[in-house]
Amino acid sequence: MIPAELKESLQKHIASIDHPRELVVDVMFAVQDYYGYLNDEAVEEVAELLDMSPVEVEQLATFYTFIYREPVGKYVIHVCDSLVCWMEGHESLLDRLIGKLGINLGETTPDGMFSLLPVCCIGYCDRAPAIMINKKVYGPLTIDTLDDILEKLRAEA
Amino acid sequence: MPKLVIDEREIEVPEGTKVIEAAEQLGIMIPRFCYHPALGSVGACRVCAVKFLEGPFKGVQMSCMIDAKDDMVVSTTDEEAVEFRKYVIEWLMLHHPHDCPVCDEGGHCLLQDMTVSGGHGVRRYLGLKRTYRDQYLGPLVQHEMNRCIHCYRCTRFYQEFAGYFDLGVMQIANHTYFGRFKDGILESPFTGNLSDICPTGVYTDKPSRFFGRRWDYQRSPSLCINCSLGCHITASARYREVVRQEARYSEAVNGYFICDRGRHGFHYAKSETRPGKALVDGREVTTEEGIRAAREKLAELMSRIESDGVACLGSARSSLENQAMLKQLCQKMGWQDPSYFVDESLAKKVKTAVTRLEPELTVSLRDLEGSDAIIVVGADPINEAPMLALAMRQAQRKGGKIVVLDPRPISLPCDYTHLPVKLDEINLYLGALIKAAVDPEAITDAEKDVARFYREAPMLEIFVDSLQKKASSLAQELRASQRVVIVCGTQVVRETTVVLAGDCVSLLRAAKKQAGLFYLLPQANAFGASLLTNKEFSFLNTLEGMENGSIKGLILVENDPFYSFHHRQRLDLAIEKLDLLIVLDYLESPAVRKAHVFLPTSTLYETGGIYINQEGRAQAATKTYLGGISIAQISGGNHPPRIYGSEIPGGEARAAFQFLDQIGDGGSDEDETASRQNPLRWLSANLPALAKIPPFGELTEAGMLINSSDEGTGQFSLDWKEEKDKGDMTGDLLEVILTDLTFGTEELSSFSPPLRKLERKPCLFMQVNDAAKMGLSSEDRVRIKLDEGDVEVDVRLEENMAPGVVILPRHRLLEWQKVKRLPKFVRFEEIEKVSD
Repeated sequence: MIPAELKESLQKHIASIDHPRELVVDVMFAVQDYYGYLNDEAVEEVAELLDMSPVEVEQLATFYTFIYREPVGKYVIHVCDSLVCWMEGHESLLDRLIGKLGINLGETTPDGMFSLLPVCCIGYCDRAPAIMINKKVYGPLTIDTLDDILEKLRAEA
Repeated sequence: MPKLVIDEREIEVPEGTKVIEAAEQLGIMIPRFCYHPALGSVGACRVCAVKFLEGPFKGVQMSCMIDAKDDMVVSTTDEEAVEFRKYVIEWLMLHHPHDCPVCDEGGHCLLQDMTVSGGHGVRRYLGLKRTYRDQYLGPLVQHEMNRCIHCYRCTRFYQEFAGYFDLGVMQIANHTYFGRFKDGILESPFTGNLSDICPTGVYTDKPSRFFGRRWDYQRSPSLCINCSLGCHITASARYREVVRQEARYSEAVNGYFICDRGRHGFHYAKSETRPGKALVDGREVTTEEGIRAAREKLAELMSRIESDGVACLGSARSSLENQAMLKQLCQKMGWQDPSYFVDESLAKKVKTAVTRLEPELTVSLRDLEGSDAIIVVGADPINEAPMLALAMRQAQRKGGKIVVLDPRPISLPCDYTHLPVKLDEINLYLGALIKAAVDPEAITDAEKDVARFYREAPMLEIFVDSLQKKASSLAQELRASQRVVIVCGTQVVRETTVVLAGDCVSLLRAAKKQAGLFYLLPQANAFGASLLTNKEFSFLNTLEGMENGSIKGLILVENDPFYSFHHRQRLDLAIEKLDLLIVLDYLESPAVRKAHVFLPTSTLYETGGIYINQEGRAQAATKTYLGGISIAQISGGNHPPRIYGSEIPGGEARAAFQFLDQIGDGGSDEDETASRQNPLRWLSANLPALAKIPPFGELTEAGMLINSSDEGTGQFSLDWKEEKDKGDMTGDLLEVILTDLTFGTEELSSFSPPLRKLERKPCLFMQVNDAAKMGLSSEDRVRIKLDEGDVEVDVRLEENMAPGVVILPRHRLLEWQKVKRLPKFVRFEEIEKVSD
């Protein structure tokens, strides 16, 4: 269960809106931030807050890339595989990440540190090839700068 | 109206017709998956591609997305379009498991048809197929997601069309998944339609799984008799049992869909408890011996009593032929006319409805979908006639306003305003609402009695404070609406409400609105029963006659008063006083067990029959199979016994009209077809409303609207002053309203094993504030004191119901038949908590 404080603030926000359903993505993010990912219980809590059925929330939760319906690592690395990043060498970035972390796309390192996910365009074509880690964008990247970022994150963890 | 050419043939269609529909009118079936006439176009599946050769569009386009326009020249056979469709099909088949041999859809599968007609025969994709985990969706629908081609029909029907939100579409791209959030029973009472509309085998009919291919079945156009709407169905039988029912398209009644009660309500016909042999004093005899015994015992009885000492009770679930034959028999034998309703008040209400349904007021279920305001009075659509709720939802989706005046906790799959008022207050509130909805200017030239009715109707101020605001905003919306329909139930309402509903429609029409009237009746052929009912002879009179000894013989035809009569003890005593009880039925019942002579009648599936639905539409169901005990029952799962003979095993049942004919004239006419024309001829000669009823088999698909209206009866006769006094009379009492549920109260469907799994545990509904006064909470169990004993039942608290009433379902698992007189009131202290 989400804490009463969070629930109240969400309820307040929802009550102030003409069409509460428009808030569903924001509410999912808020609840996801609390749990670390959107578990089944969270889906049902979001549904209750917005007077929707669980499947209506699930329809959206499973559609959007940044809503995680499974546990993820401390750092979620989204590798952009859209056109411009692809032209600028996204595949070598991905290969490097897979090799270095020892996991495939959609997986999390056994230490729970990193999850690797694709994303199709994050709007940073000017910084291609780009990746996004926990809502922060990095790019343009080379293999070396990518390694540096991983080292730095690991050190900070 | 646009005129276009499709495949070198010209056609003119109404503005807004899609090219795919225009082609269909020419008999050209363009392939389709996502397009469905009831759901409309979304252009998702790409399989309806055709080539536009001339006109405003050019090249290969989706025929479901483009409106027919003048000068269009369309080819469905153009090489480019054919090739396009071939690739689409190949790509839709990419992940399909090709499990047709073990798939129940095989043989009537749109995907099979389209694959073959699209010309895709050889698989080129050699990669891994994506697979899914299936879900448990309840006892009616089997889930098999691997077969899915992502046409979205299921979720569009389930959510948009039907208004339930526990099945949807999740994930994206190749992972797209149609199902529930978690395994569980689907909440909608329309789930069976998923099996009908799914173009492949993702959703199939679960109870009939692995029973046969469509071509194995004896299939016939039939009717649903599980409520009064008369929806069209296709019945399928195999090995001497009905195995499956599907929705059959009907322009006027149900459209493309039916409810789950109707779809799965047929199991009574193959119930193991169904009495299949004639019984004399509880002993099995041949049918001929049974008929002879009935004749002899009747002759013996009549030799020593007056001719009005024999009474007959027909039924509102019998076909028109059976009902008419019973009346014919009574007249022939010199007995008093039969009654058809156990509940006298119900008989009166149905009679009122039948006499008030003037042709210009009558609206069909499909007409209802086009109304812009629906006022529901004392009816609970989802529980009493589910398809009505589906039609109301379509009206609401088009912007129609729905208002419900009913004391019960009504729940509808659409937006609606519920005014929870007591049964004694409905008339006042309805009158006030309609008065406020009428523009005084519009009725200045109205006739005298209409003007008086309008003048004397109560003002909106009579609404209690809590409903005041709702009511006045409703009245404004009603005033703006043009096509208003009043839906009036007959089960729980007072007799005067049925009259008033008709008066209100008349007033609205006088105010130049296109108002319509839609009654719900208690059973499938209540309309027919009412046409044959003479006001003087009610079952209550019969009962009194039995009690005072003036009636010594009783014939029950397909009616079990033990199921429906509210005072079991009185009925028991009266029946015991009889010298002769003859029962004709196809259901097992206490009446069958008590009968001196029992004759097994055939069901709708074995004989067919004419039924008149609640709008007065006479419709025919044809025979599905010949009858007899099912092979499954006879063989117990093994090979059927190797006994040779020309008789159908267990095929002793005959149509009730045949038995009655034979009881009347000595059993000469054993031919069903000949015997059936007899009551129909009698009807057309004796009943003006049915003068034009054609011979069986000649009724058209649309049926025939019967007009039995009688303008002279009781119009505008309501005494408003009396109505105003009623409210205060009940004081501190709670009215016990006996009511129906979707599953578990309707007689025929209560025999259905799959539907029994959907029954909710029966409970007593109470308004939260009433319960609070008595210190009751939601999990409590109470004992409610009725006249002839107590009923123990769980309490369920509801906000949206009228105070001062409790709702007790006539559930098959509750012994509710302990009420001396209806309406029944109890004091607060007569409901007490049971400590566990």
